[in-house]
Amino acid sequence: MSSPAWVVFRKELRDTLRDRRTLVAMVVVPLLLFPLLMVGMAKFSQSRAAEARDKTLAVAVADAEASSGLADYLRHEPGLEISEVQDVTALPERVRTEELDAAIVVPAGYGAALAAHQPAPLQLLHKSSDDFDIPRTRLEQALGRFEQKLLDERLRGLGIEPRSIDPLDIQRTDVVSSRELFGKLLGGLLPYMFIIFCFTGGMYPAIDLAAGEKERGTLETLLSSPASRLQIAFGKFAVVTLTGFTSALLATVGMYVSVQSVTGIPAPVLAAVQSVLAPGTIALVLALLLPLSVFFAAILLMLSLYARSYKEAMSVISPLMIVVVVPAAIALAPGVRLGLGTALVPVLNVSLATREIIAGTADPLHLALVFASLLLLAAGGMAACARWFSREDIVFRS
Amino acid sequence: MIEVVDLTKSFPISRQQRRELAAAGSPAPGETPATAPGAANASSLQAVAGASFRCSPGRVFALLGPNGAGKTTVLRMIATLLRPDGGRISIAGVDALADPVAARRKLGFLTGSTKLYERLTAEENVRYAADLHGVGAADYKRRRDALFGALGIDAYAGRRAGQLSTGMKQKVAIARTIIHDPEVVVFDEATSGLDVIAARAIIQLIQDCRAQGKTVLFSTHIMSEVTMLADDLAVFHRGRVLAMGGLEEVLARAVDERGQRRTLEDEFVRLIDAAEGVRT
Repeated sequence: MSSPAWVVFRKELRDTLRDRRTLVAMVVVPLLLFPLLMVGMAKFSQSRAAEARDKTLAVAVADAEASSGLADYLRHEPGLEISEVQDVTALPERVRTEELDAAIVVPAGYGAALAAHQPAPLQLLHKSSDDFDIPRTRLEQALGRFEQKLLDERLRGLGIEPRSIDPLDIQRTDVVSSRELFGKLLGGLLPYMFIIFCFTGGMYPAIDLAAGEKERGTLETLLSSPASRLQIAFGKFAVVTLTGFTSALLATVGMYVSVQSVTGIPAPVLAAVQSVLAPGTIALVLALLLPLSVFFAAILLMLSLYARSYKEAMSVISPLMIVVVVPAAIALAPGVRLGLGTALVPVLNVSLATREIIAGTADPLHLALVFASLLLLAAGGMAACARWFSREDIVFRS
Repeated sequence: MIEVVDLTKSFPISRQQRRELAAAGSPAPGETPATAPGAANASSLQAVAGASFRCSPGRVFALLGPNGAGKTTVLRMIATLLRPDGGRISIAGVDALADPVAARRKLGFLTGSTKLYERLTAEENVRYAADLHGVGAADYKRRRDALFGALGIDAYAGRRAGQLSTGMKQKVAIARTIIHDPEVVVFDEATSGLDVIAARAIIQLIQDCRAQGKTVLFSTHIMSEVTMLADDLAVFHRGRVLAMGGLEEVLARAVDERGQRRTLEDEFVRLIDAAEGVRT
């Protein structure tokens, strides 16, 4: 004979897995939609950036003195199509309407300033764009080379060898491991994603299993069975925990698949991603998410049971998403680190600990503290949820 | 057997509910807020005030009362869904307050508002109830075959409840209620909102339960159901029993000033009016 809690769990799981809405939130979204978005966005960004990099830029040069030599110099720069114009007033509009990618105005007094060894004025007209400002950067690099040429000429005119003004030759070597570097970047995003899926994965089952059951009128039948309130609460609670956790797990699988399917990732980055997705790292992150799923399940079920209907439960629970997202987002802010204080803040601690684990820089003491606080929170949540099911003013709230 | 002794229950009420009750004119004339059953006092509403009755095996007991009388509250306390503030409930010899789980093992509970799990099949709905009551595989098969055969559920046992007609659903709900062969069956307005065919299935179930020697308690506000089914009845209003006894006995007492026998409906209205202080 099965325990009533197991009977409730089995039935609720079967019922939940037949709910299309839950399946979409728990399986389809984390497994497919997010990776597809990631792949799509990566490819789109790559293609836009490549386009901006390879594009021939149309640049107009309006030289008031016709003696700067700038237009001639820029003509020899690759990827630039230089036209010389007289009408300066039309240039801003031509750049704004993207007829030109940029324009350079050499004002009167340029030659005199140069001759007097003063900074010569030069005006660059450009339009900040969503092409990562690559056109402006390319043009500034070309102007930088022109400036260096002028500087070299000026120094030689003064009898100084240009190289002699560089007292230091700095050789930079970044010792950060590719995993650490990638961990800092990916580690900001991943916990955010995991936490959200942990929450949304359990949201629909929680609403259906408590408020939905109230609305259907099946709760009375269930409560009049020999199953105790604690057993009923535990059976339902286990299903909500499982769906939330599974959702986060599938998000991990989805991320792995998406990383594998994105082409053009540099080999060191790919190696770093694979080290992040190593079984040990993932197991540690999932171990953090399990008590968090338990805590979320308790909160979701309690709110759902409090609500009188499915609709009311939705309206109570949906804003809670913001409460969950905020601590996860705080972890993205620079300078926020896992310490003795932050290790005790729910959600924020998971977010920060996940980042540290992925980067391979986690302090075992801090991790232990995060685990301990999450386990306490989960146990408290479970106890509160079980007590909630015994309160007739909640169960029969009307 | 069901034995209910001096049962009381009050519910805390919100400020808004208090305003609504005040607007509706509660308490009843002649009663003070603190003592009036069904009336609002400072923070609570008394739904049941000292109800006592006894339902015997092999007999059908009707709890007859208008809407809001407190019938559902009484039945929910008997089904151990609500805990009384005072009094005693015994279900087939089990003290329901001391051991609610044991009491629920002996109980089948069906309400008019109960629906099925739409994503489960008819069979899965019934099996779930059987599993919760700890019915073993062999007993389940025997009971299931008998019930499904008698109610004609076999033809749609594998279909999801969401695809069934109201009548089919009602039959599945009946099977679910008695799959564990309870000694006591409680129906809370079980025919309310049903069409004639579906209501007939419930009425037949009540008659079958009586024939099998089960204790049957049902609440209703429909007089014809009482005259058709009840062996005993209690007229219930504002959380109190106004009259009680065998159906024939209650009807025999219902005689007007001219010595004419009243119908059950007339007697019911007279009792309610008398309790409300209405001059007839």
